[in-house]
Amino acid sequence: MQSLSLGHKCQCPLGIDILAFLRFLSENRVVQALAKIHEHNPLPAICGRICTAPCETAGVRDQENAFLSIRALERYAADFGKPRFAIKKTVARTGKKVAIIGSGPAGLSAAADLAQGGYRVTVFEALDHPGGILHYGIPAFRLPPKILDEAIQEIKLLGVEIKTSCYAGKTFALTDLFIQGFEAILLATGAGIPQLQDIDGANLGGVYYGEELLMRVNLAGRVGPVSRDRQSSLFFQDNNFQLGNRVVVLGSSFMALDCARAAVRLDKQVTWVSPQPSDDKKNLPEEIAYAEKEGVCIEALARPLAIMGNDQHCVRAIQCVRLDYADEHAQGEWELIPVPDSGFTIEADSVIIAMGQEPNSLIRRDTPQLKINKNGTIWINPGNSMTSLAGVFACGSVVIHASPLVEAIALGKKAAIDIEKYFNNSRAH
Amino acid sequence: MHYKIVNKQSFAGRFKRINIHCPDIATKLQPGQFIKVSLWQGASVSLIVAEIDSLRGVLTVIAQDADPLAQQLGNLPINYVLHAVLGPLGVPVRIEKKGMVVCIATGIGIGRILPIVRALKQVGNKVIGIIGARTKTELLLEVQMRIACNKIIVATEDGSSECRGLATDAFKRIIGEESIQSVFAIGSVDMMEEVSLLTKEKNIDTQVMVDVSMIDCVGLCGACRVRVRNRNVLACIEGPAFNGHQVDFTDLRIRMNAFKERDRWGNLKSSFNPRENALEILTKYPLDIKKN
Repeated sequence: MQSLSLGHKCQCPLGIDILAFLRFLSENRVVQALAKIHEHNPLPAICGRICTAPCETAGVRDQENAFLSIRALERYAADFGKPRFAIKKTVARTGKKVAIIGSGPAGLSAAADLAQGGYRVTVFEALDHPGGILHYGIPAFRLPPKILDEAIQEIKLLGVEIKTSCYAGKTFALTDLFIQGFEAILLATGAGIPQLQDIDGANLGGVYYGEELLMRVNLAGRVGPVSRDRQSSLFFQDNNFQLGNRVVVLGSSFMALDCARAAVRLDKQVTWVSPQPSDDKKNLPEEIAYAEKEGVCIEALARPLAIMGNDQHCVRAIQCVRLDYADEHAQGEWELIPVPDSGFTIEADSVIIAMGQEPNSLIRRDTPQLKINKNGTIWINPGNSMTSLAGVFACGSVVIHASPLVEAIALGKKAAIDIEKYFNNSRAH
Repeated sequence: MHYKIVNKQSFAGRFKRINIHCPDIATKLQPGQFIKVSLWQGASVSLIVAEIDSLRGVLTVIAQDADPLAQQLGNLPINYVLHAVLGPLGVPVRIEKKGMVVCIATGIGIGRILPIVRALKQVGNKVIGIIGARTKTELLLEVQMRIACNKIIVATEDGSSECRGLATDAFKRIIGEESIQSVFAIGSVDMMEEVSLLTKEKNIDTQVMVDVSMIDCVGLCGACRVRVRNRNVLACIEGPAFNGHQVDFTDLRIRMNAFKERDRWGNLKSSFNPRENALEILTKYPLDIKKN
């Protein structure tokens, strides 16, 4: 194993010692390997499946000089390295109560860390199931609901209380939480609102946002083995959701790829129009290869100009233009610009728009005292993660625009450390 | 928190009035807001609130049989404990003392306007109610509206109750007779558009309430987008009440009717099968949701 070589510094945002993890695995000590990951990451099974794996770009090579897929190894360790008996750790209780708004990746990781630090943590979730975007926004073929439920159960065992269907800012105001005895509040509401596009025809019938498709597919599927009359009717034909046979997915995000792959599983003919090249580093090449093999037709380097409707105001076709790299001003800045006379149309019955998300605006609407950045994110003091309100912290995608999963978890962990510091300081004074 | 159905009543043929015990929401809810009810996990429906009883902690919601989930909610027995109730959602309407206020509503909109009428009257306005429906039997909450309003005009298309004609015809008459300070219009898109055009001439403050389909009601899905002041907004976050002079009704009509006119092909089975073309599905989809 000495022949393991690290290209340059391994860049896990969580600070996991990847070389030590790999060494444990090579010695077939899976439990210890998982424990190594668990030191820094409370959701290894989820990260092993849907992480963007920035560590793999650092390039750990094995004896044959081939790159190692660290994400797959993490998934293996998480699935097979679980100790046979759960060891209940006893931590000294501080008796202080912390409220976390939002049960997405950032909120869950902060909750796990704070619970291990001895705080009484309560997580408030607006939907009726915890998990945030992991629950409604990731299709079941990428993250099976069972894995998510197990991860949430593990966090609950640490002593975290999760309250679903609690809408912070509406069902209760943030100031009510202080009255209830919570001494710190962490906002982890994430970036879930779709960026509403101003493409011509974006409001025609048959145009959906990616979140809507994924939410309907996920929530309809996760009801479980129950009789038909008990099934969620979110996917019923008469419930305002008709997906045509020819589906066009717009966008280059993960969500666009997920939407395309989910639509293929609904027996639709899918075309994915992406403004990025198909070997884009933002998406994992293996995911794109899966999509291609499953029958998604990929139109890379193209941008939608307009969605055309028929006389009944439903989608008929979509007009696109090809993009190419060009150095327009001859200053060494290569940018993607439309190629002249390269317009083409794709016939479509439905269009799914997945072109990015915006930070959740609900909490800042109901709490006008919060200071907001220009791009809609909540302002925090970079030193201590605190917002403009004393005792109110923020982390995750609501702070940094559209951060991927690992970064959200890392921010949640940082906020947990900052909250502990805040408590220690207030005790000292 | 246990959210229980304490009473239900069928009325006007295809509507059910359901009383839900949810004290924490009933004390917070203001006129113009709505709630989301989860029957069981994953099956949630947004419902309008017709009456707020904050003392008993009971909300009266109206479920119409046209919506399949609302129909299932209406079929649930009394004392059934709901999985979850989320609320209050949306922005409450501005209730101010203006003087003479006209509240015009048709169809299920009468249920939405009733708490607004009560609140307007409480702060000292004189409220003229105009309610409309196709026939007398389809009129919702007529008795409650009669008690709540200072003056009421009932317009039915076939003349089976009071005056014959559309609600907008009655409004045209009223707008010529009285000096009106404010107008609330809830109902069909045609009615709201016509009322907004009439009030724009006289520069009367007008609020309309859009009724677009919602899934999660907290702004995640983007299904309820409407065009207001040349900008796309989500009705569940910034609405559902908007300034009637700023709403793009042509776009709203497309948003609301687009779904219904697609029955030509609906969710028909596709002729394209990726498995036949020797393409493989690499990861299995664990749940069979295509049966629907």
